[in-house]
Amino acid sequence: MNNIRPIFALLFLLLTFSAHAEDRWTEWGPTSRESNAGVIARVGYTIGGTTPIPLPAEIRRMNGFKPKGGVTFGADAYKMLSRRWGFSAGWHFFYEGFHTSANVKNYRMSLTMEGNTMGGYFTGCDVTNTDMWGVTIPILATLRLSPRWNLSFGPYVSFYFWQNFSGEVYDNTDGIGYLRVDTPTGEKVNMSRNNPATYDFSENMRPWNAGLEVCFDLKVMKHLNAFGSLDWGLSNIMDPDFDAVAFKMYPIYATFGVAYRY
Amino acid sequence: MSKKISALILLGGLAGMMASCTDEPLNAECDIEVVSLHFEEPERLMYHDYDTLQTVPSVVDSVSFLVRNYARIGSVPLTLRVTEGATPYLMSADGQWEVFRNGSSVDFSNEQVRRFRIVSQDKAWERFYKIVVLHDVPSEGDMSFDFEDYQLDPTNSEKFYIWSVKGNAVNVFTDGMWKNGNPGYKLSKSSAKPDEYPSVPLPGQGPDGSACLKLETCDTGPFGRMVNMRLASGSMFNGIFDVANALKDALKATQFGSPFKHKPVRISAWLRFERGETFQDKEANPVPGVVDEPDMYMVYYRNQDEQGNRVQLDGNDILSSPYIIGLARLPHHYNADGSDQLTNSPIHGVTNEWQEFTLDMKYTQEPDREIMENNGYSLVIGFASSWQGAYFQGAVGNKFYIDNVHVTCDRNE
Repeated sequence: MNNIRPIFALLFLLLTFSAHAEDRWTEWGPTSRESNAGVIARVGYTIGGTTPIPLPAEIRRMNGFKPKGGVTFGADAYKMLSRRWGFSAGWHFFYEGFHTSANVKNYRMSLTMEGNTMGGYFTGCDVTNTDMWGVTIPILATLRLSPRWNLSFGPYVSFYFWQNFSGEVYDNTDGIGYLRVDTPTGEKVNMSRNNPATYDFSENMRPWNAGLEVCFDLKVMKHLNAFGSLDWGLSNIMDPDFDAVAFKMYPIYATFGVAYRY
Repeated sequence: MSKKISALILLGGLAGMMASCTDEPLNAECDIEVVSLHFEEPERLMYHDYDTLQTVPSVVDSVSFLVRNYARIGSVPLTLRVTEGATPYLMSADGQWEVFRNGSSVDFSNEQVRRFRIVSQDKAWERFYKIVVLHDVPSEGDMSFDFEDYQLDPTNSEKFYIWSVKGNAVNVFTDGMWKNGNPGYKLSKSSAKPDEYPSVPLPGQGPDGSACLKLETCDTGPFGRMVNMRLASGSMFNGIFDVANALKDALKATQFGSPFKHKPVRISAWLRFERGETFQDKEANPVPGVVDEPDMYMVYYRNQDEQGNRVQLDGNDILSSPYIIGLARLPHHYNADGSDQLTNSPIHGVTNEWQEFTLDMKYTQEPDREIMENNGYSLVIGFASSWQGAYFQGAVGNKFYIDNVHVTCDRNE
């Protein structure tokens, strides 16, 4: 008998705690109790890059990787189907961009302009700038991890209004920068930072991208969320027939921001 | 705060992913970069001590060393500098490839051509080279060029024409060939047909009904714009066109002249010129009030400085180097400081009709006989369809036709 008392005490504690927890699930749940649905308007700071995955061996060293501070704003509509599970969909306008400088070795590339082709194997420094304006439409499943933490996960598709993918190739800090024309035994053409060769593949970019998004929401106040999300692109940012660069590149961008929740 | 931390973690993850490079790929290149011969007394066998070492441009696969005509050459220790990790092989007398070790002796007697094979570190690529030691042979000074010996360059997929010289001119033309900017034009305009290059032969259109040479100032297309080299002057000269520097330092790409043991006094040529419409500057902006001019010149210069170093004139100083002792050039206007003056009233006198022009060499210094006999002076013969073409200025569409060039040397030497 003596042994049972503490168990009752524990059960009582648990019950009161869950009763209290139940209040918290409701307290931090959807504002509209009838529909269990609402909207979240988000604004955030976007950083990230566009990269081949995995990084090819031809890229020897990243000299610099500088995300250009991007911005995202948009809104999601959500509906909770149960206490823990729901879904959301929305649109997020964004600007994202990055700047990289990398040392490359035997990096196969070719350019075609107005019917002229120049290509081969480049060794030296490659600087790239990317800018993309567009809208992302995520369709996510939402899991309430706790009363105040939400995890959303699902596919997204982005459409771009304007894209830029351009850069320069020249000599690296060791003074090495050259193209072997067509093959590694072709003419060696030196490149210098005083007169770099520039490229612009903006016209060769795919106007859309699809991937997966994961988003964490923390309900900070009754109507205010802090969130962090990651968009991981699964489709090449370049047109399928684009072969100036020997590998596919994927956009990977994270957003951190605040949201108004109703 | 937690936002910042998660941002940092995420960025760190991205950066880590970017930084985690896989093993460095093995070198794919397989060049001989430098060749050197080892003689006990190089100055006894060669004209300059630096003649024992040759830097090999990437487009060159045949290296020849010049020794004095009385030099007896047998086995010579040889050193090759090849691409890092590449393996050199030497073809033995019985036709087998044997690994070549630097410093080992190679039989260069009887001007035999020795063959080398270089295999890249990744074993996927190879190149073949020839190395030979040749004796200098006495030759006459006077030379004639009729531009009849041309063919599509077999080493460049027959994309453009090349011209060989014959007779005693062979000595003063590297590889016995005229050089021009065609290999550079190929880089920028791969779509060009052979007769759309800046330097092309015109069969049957010379003043005598045989082939002549046409130099044309051509637009370099989108790749030319990319590197801000928007036009290519047609050119023809003796020396080396180092395509490696065509983009990095275009003036350095044209290396003028070869040693010449005679005193040139006169150059004559049949010339004709059609002027392009608009003179443009480096950014392709039209320059009003300026017309383009063709150029032809002959230069005689000291090819060694006071310290005994090699002097090689290139696009920077071909007409202005202090080592020039003799010069003949089509007439142009010059500013008071000696620089080229762009005008709309050229005085070169070349018209749309064939005419023969004769230019006398003007010497600022009499060549020294002993220096001359020791290959201490170099001769340059050069033509260009745009006289400012080295600076990528000129009129696209300039056409400069050339035939029957004669170089006359002093017979009293």
